[in-house]
Amino acid sequence: MNVMPMLIRRELWEHRALWVVPLVIAGLIVVAAMFPHASMQIDSADVATPQKYMALFALFHSAMTVPQLLLLSVLLPYYLLDCLFAERKDRSILFWKALPVSDAQTVLSKLLVALAIVPLGVFVLTLFTDVAASGILAVRFHGSPLVRAFLRWDTQAWIHTQGIILAALVVVVLWYAPIAAYLLLVSAWAKRNAFLWAAMPPLVGMLIEKIAFGTTYLAKFLGYRLRIADILGFSHGAAGRGASAAGEHASGMLERLRPWEAFANIDLWLGLAAAAALVWLTIRIRRHQDDG
Amino acid sequence: MTQMIKARALGKSYRGVRALDAVSFDVEAGRIVGLIGPNGAGKTTALKAILGLTPFEGELVVMGKNPYTERDSLMREVCFIADVAVMPRWLRVHQALDFVAAVQPRFDRSRAEGFLRKTDIKSFSRVRELSKGMVTQLHLALILAIDARLLVLDEPTLGLDLLFRRQFYDTLVNDYFDKERTILVTTHQVEEIENLLTDVIFIQRGRIALSTSVEDLGTRYVQLTASAEQARLARQLQPFHEREVFGRVVQLFEGRAPQELQKFGDIRTPSIADLFVAKMQGEAA
Repeated sequence: MNVMPMLIRRELWEHRALWVVPLVIAGLIVVAAMFPHASMQIDSADVATPQKYMALFALFHSAMTVPQLLLLSVLLPYYLLDCLFAERKDRSILFWKALPVSDAQTVLSKLLVALAIVPLGVFVLTLFTDVAASGILAVRFHGSPLVRAFLRWDTQAWIHTQGIILAALVVVVLWYAPIAAYLLLVSAWAKRNAFLWAAMPPLVGMLIEKIAFGTTYLAKFLGYRLRIADILGFSHGAAGRGASAAGEHASGMLERLRPWEAFANIDLWLGLAAAAALVWLTIRIRRHQDDG
Repeated sequence: MTQMIKARALGKSYRGVRALDAVSFDVEAGRIVGLIGPNGAGKTTALKAILGLTPFEGELVVMGKNPYTERDSLMREVCFIADVAVMPRWLRVHQALDFVAAVQPRFDRSRAEGFLRKTDIKSFSRVRELSKGMVTQLHLALILAIDARLLVLDEPTLGLDLLFRRQFYDTLVNDYFDKERTILVTTHQVEEIENLLTDVIFIQRGRIALSTSVEDLGTRYVQLTASAEQARLARQLQPFHEREVFGRVVQLFEGRAPQELQKFGDIRTPSIADLFVAKMQGEAA
């Protein structure tokens, strides 16, 4: 029995935005690459050294893929809040529960879709988009020797760039796992308006803390859990640079990423433990639910 | 006879209210059992316990399993419909077939497709595009193609018009039911299913008011329709329920031989609906 693959397909049937939106964006990127107004100004100074060349190469290729991954930060929270809420809203929960699928399988399939299937699927899609769009641009800017030098296919640099993006994606997904599990829990639990219920506890918590103790520890903690720059190693060495270096800062950003260092951070593992506990609770809640 | 369901002192409270109060009953294989009671009597609570959807007190064995702890494996052999007209609205017909085929080992896809061919339902339609009657047909096609030993129906035809209600039950009895299978159905519309039941369990305020096979019903209960005068005489035999219809008195007796009552007027076996009303009013009085 291929229960889990079918449960995943079922999610993609119901929540078509998860794959339709990234496909549309990918199509737009490829189409945009064909239009003449896309222009590139590159000085010879930009590719003067291997470091500069690499930074610009990485910036160019991540510009093709990162917007898609940012889009997931909108699509996935929405999906997570909706997936267990929708089956109660449309009263179809008893239809699903009448089939021999356990609550654990159901809940885990939704988590798997949000934290693995969709992020990895979109990442693979961005690879194809990048190759297609770069190819089109290379043909179009064929006449410019500088651009030609820059757009020349460099397998090693490309794998390096995409490898860092993938590693960063894995770390971001693991870092956000407890938030994903929290949204799933609210989705299973909220009687109505899951969005409001998801926002309420942290907001009320912060308000009470502020009024009762005059402190903002909760807000700081949530800010810490929502920010990914630290965990990806962005901040190292970035402090102290002036705004004048912003351009250089942006182009060198990917080069300074140290996503693998996150695995040495205890907070990542504590977050995963919290996620596991929240998922366990979500399974318990769904077990007791019916259409009533 | 194989025992499909065995309930002993089954109990359940919701916030201090006894929804089920030490209920005991058995369901044998090859029967069509009606669990009948007014709204809020505890029918759905009993079904949820049987289906493993809610924890319970007392002893409950469904096909040799504890439904609460072994729900997943139980659902391979049990099928249930809460409301035939409710299916996920975004689901396409062919997706429904794909899904059930993948998760339910006892599903016979060609049987379901054969059933759907007799309808106007198209494979690419979404549930939201189907009429209520078509959703019912689709749901039935899926359920009837599952070789389940126990089928549990909870007010399955609620909100459907008469035509589809009749069609639903006819299909169920003609195309599905056989001596190997068992059907447990709850309803508060007794008249609708009384001709198909082999057993009835009346439930009221969390307690069993009556549990009998339909065959036994005829030997246990007699309905007498007599003139007011004759009825007064018959009253000595202690009818447990009495009502007036067009100037004649209708009395219900338990444990009386028909011969005893014949002399007062017309006798017959009461319908399940009449018996239900009598029992419920008797309890309430």
